[in-house]
Amino acid sequence: MAIKPVIEMNKVSKIYGGKTENQVFALNDVSFTMQEGEFIGIMGASGSGKTTLLNVVSTLDHPTEGTVAIAGTDITRMKARELSDFRAQRLGFIFQEFNLLDNLTVYENVALPLSLQDLPVHQIMDRVGKVLEQLGIAELADKYPATISGGQRQRTAAARAIVHEPALLLGDEPTGSLDTKNAVGLLEQMKRLNEQQQISILMVTHDAFSASYCSRILFIQDGRLVQELYRLGSREAFYKQILNVLGDYGAAAAEAAAKELSAVEDRG
Amino acid sequence: MLMKLALSGMKSKLKDYLVLLAGLVISISIFYMFQTMAWNRSFTENNAVINSIQLVYVLGTILLSAITFFYILYANGFLLSLRQREFGLYMVLGARKDKIRKLMFIETIVLGMVSLAAGLGIGFGLSALVGRLMAQQLQADLTGYYPVYGPAIGFTVLFFVALFIFSALWNQLKLARMQVLQLLHGSMRADRPWRSSGWKKVMVVVGVIAILLGYLSLTFMEQLREIGLFTATIMTPLGTYLLFMAFLPPLVARLKKSHQLRGIRAFTFGQLSFRINELTKLLATVAMLIALGAGAIAGGLAFWNDAFIRGETYRVYDATVHDPNEAETNVLAGIPFKERFTYRYKLDNEILYYAKEDLESQRPLVHSQQGRDYWDQLKRVEDPLPKATADSAGKAVAGESANSSAGGVAGESADGTAASADTGIESGVEGETAGGIENGESLSSDWTTFLWQIAPTNLSYSDVRLADNVQFDALEAKEQIVVIGRTDDFLAYRSSWEKLDQLAMEKSEGMGVTWSKYENYQRALGISSGTMFMGFFLGIAFLAMMASCLMFKILSGAAKDIQRYEMLHKLGVRRERLSRSIYTELLLVFLFPGIAGLLHVLVGMRLFSFILAEPYYRLWLPILLFAVIYSAYYFITVNLYKRIVLR
Repeated sequence: MAIKPVIEMNKVSKIYGGKTENQVFALNDVSFTMQEGEFIGIMGASGSGKTTLLNVVSTLDHPTEGTVAIAGTDITRMKARELSDFRAQRLGFIFQEFNLLDNLTVYENVALPLSLQDLPVHQIMDRVGKVLEQLGIAELADKYPATISGGQRQRTAAARAIVHEPALLLGDEPTGSLDTKNAVGLLEQMKRLNEQQQISILMVTHDAFSASYCSRILFIQDGRLVQELYRLGSREAFYKQILNVLGDYGAAAAEAAAKELSAVEDRG
Repeated sequence: MLMKLALSGMKSKLKDYLVLLAGLVISISIFYMFQTMAWNRSFTENNAVINSIQLVYVLGTILLSAITFFYILYANGFLLSLRQREFGLYMVLGARKDKIRKLMFIETIVLGMVSLAAGLGIGFGLSALVGRLMAQQLQADLTGYYPVYGPAIGFTVLFFVALFIFSALWNQLKLARMQVLQLLHGSMRADRPWRSSGWKKVMVVVGVIAILLGYLSLTFMEQLREIGLFTATIMTPLGTYLLFMAFLPPLVARLKKSHQLRGIRAFTFGQLSFRINELTKLLATVAMLIALGAGAIAGGLAFWNDAFIRGETYRVYDATVHDPNEAETNVLAGIPFKERFTYRYKLDNEILYYAKEDLESQRPLVHSQQGRDYWDQLKRVEDPLPKATADSAGKAVAGESANSSAGGVAGESADGTAASADTGIESGVEGETAGGIENGESLSSDWTTFLWQIAPTNLSYSDVRLADNVQFDALEAKEQIVVIGRTDDFLAYRSSWEKLDQLAMEKSEGMGVTWSKYENYQRALGISSGTMFMGFFLGIAFLAMMASCLMFKILSGAAKDIQRYEMLHKLGVRRERLSRSIYTELLLVFLFPGIAGLLHVLVGMRLFSFILAEPYYRLWLPILLFAVIYSAYYFITVNLYKRIVLR
């Protein structure tokens, strides 16, 4: 199978504020390509632009400049309705919070992406059953989200994100509100989905441990991609590598901030 | 310091407070509007056709008080829910609980007083406005009705001050029992889906019994009288509440189950099934308010229709013109009569002679039976006419009969007309049937009735006879004619009837009275206009209250739903589909109480059957009116809601 690009981002910028105002570059000339079957993590400090990047990829936000193509489709030229359909058919989401609709049961939540596409009932039941089984939440099917644990909720969210076999699975701090045990559980699930079913995953995280499950990490700072890290060896080694990079950036950032502060004080 | 914080907290939730305030203000102003009627005893008693109108108002006040009571309690619960997170935060930061409670108490009372003042102000304005509008539309005389009325103000203030103090204490109690963490996470609490249980079955049984009792007392109000009024007032709402609570949640649960995998509909019904538990009581209230509002308007309109029915009962033919002059002929020519007859008559020697041929060839329509119930059942007179009696022999016979009874006929026909016009109901003819001509040659009762309806009112005569053409021509008196006509729609040509009446008055130089169908109709309208006004006034008040209840509830819950719609949007549901989901969901929310309310109205109209001939006549009109208002209101609510959740 020839490897195709899932995401092609070309010189994408996202600028907040008008021409006369103070312009803020949430994204500044970002370009990267993600191949099918990759598991990419995006890391950066708060306010570095990683969520904006994810929103642009997930078609929820429009870039000010540049083009974004997902699975060969240029999403920057699509209309709102087409974008909605595109999201429904080609993308899967796992968010940190408010993942599930609390007025639907686990089963109904997972079935939602399929039933929204008006698939025949037997097909829906088939697929939902399989996915619930796969993620080990089949016995929770008739429960409401409010009555299950956080980890179970995130697994339900994962089930919903992959039930329609999307081209790309997007995660926004998926382990952010989970304890270690549940976080590991979810990450293992995602790894399995990636390795066994060749599902491409793009995940935003600030947690080095979560990031160590990825095959590649993009570091973003002040709206720019500043570094790339490929996983070559074991996950543990990769984890250390990530921590080092973060440490460097942390130190550099702290230094820069201190300099700026002292400059202000000098002036004062 | 805490006070300052609380104030700034209020400012940040200004929009919610405005919704709350608007709800309170509307309910107060409507309560006041109702009281301006209830306490103005002399006005209601002078203007109502219903004997125990005061009892109706007492019961109405009780019902409205109960509804308002729950509404205010609910609104204050909303107030607490607005504030509890913030209060929890203060307590985490070290504020003492009694301080917080004091704050909450003050807030409830201040909000209550502000809304009371605003509510009364708006109540004055609304009462004056609706009063004037109604007076114009119905041409009703409203002397004695005061938009600003002392006793009504007093009672409203007393009622609401008591209510606000009660709900402030209620909030205190709730606050006292809550822990800090509960306060902090109050909004996170998940709604529970519905579960079946034994006592819900009891609820169904009791509810069915209550609603049956209520409907029975509405149906047999005439026999049950005051007792019926009491049972209907208590049992109908009780049954409505119980049945709404028992039936709606499982119904929605079933709807949801059957649409489990039907895409956005699964979400729509999921949304509804979560909400329905806390909605049932409100929807039952809304159903009651609809029943009261639409019922009051329908009742008012029924009194209006009653005037028309009285006119129809009084005369079959819309116009009766004697010896039309030129102006009258012109007016008559301009009316598209469905049936128009001309009869000749002569007055000779105190005896009124009709040309028999005219009657024979133009057989008129009469009511198939006497009485109000048969106002629209007409038949053509088929009875044979007696032999012409204008010959000498006949004259002697008739003369004799005239001695024994015809004097009575003449006398009676004069005051009989007056009497019947006064009461406006009975045509007062029964008496003559026997009195007129009793032998084999006599006129049938249908003919007697008809002849007397077309008889000239400005002539005095002692007997009525028929004459064939030869006899008629032989009579030396002046030949006169009477023109009668019937149209498809009496009400459509009101201006023509009015003109005819005017012309007739001019012709008689103010001496005679026209006793026309139109005049009778106008008189009946005058009697019922006061009742009509009350019906419309209260109908508008109740519907406004219904609107504020429902809108308040839906919009106050909207903030919670934003996340859900946001999530669906992220999952790739098109905006139009979300919008359709909202339309469907709210349609159901509006539909249940709408149907229940209208059902109540349909049964409840029987209530008027002891005073109105046909309470159900043209009932579609107020129902249509209500449907239009209600749908307009549905679309407004949907759009307001959409603006909140689909940003």
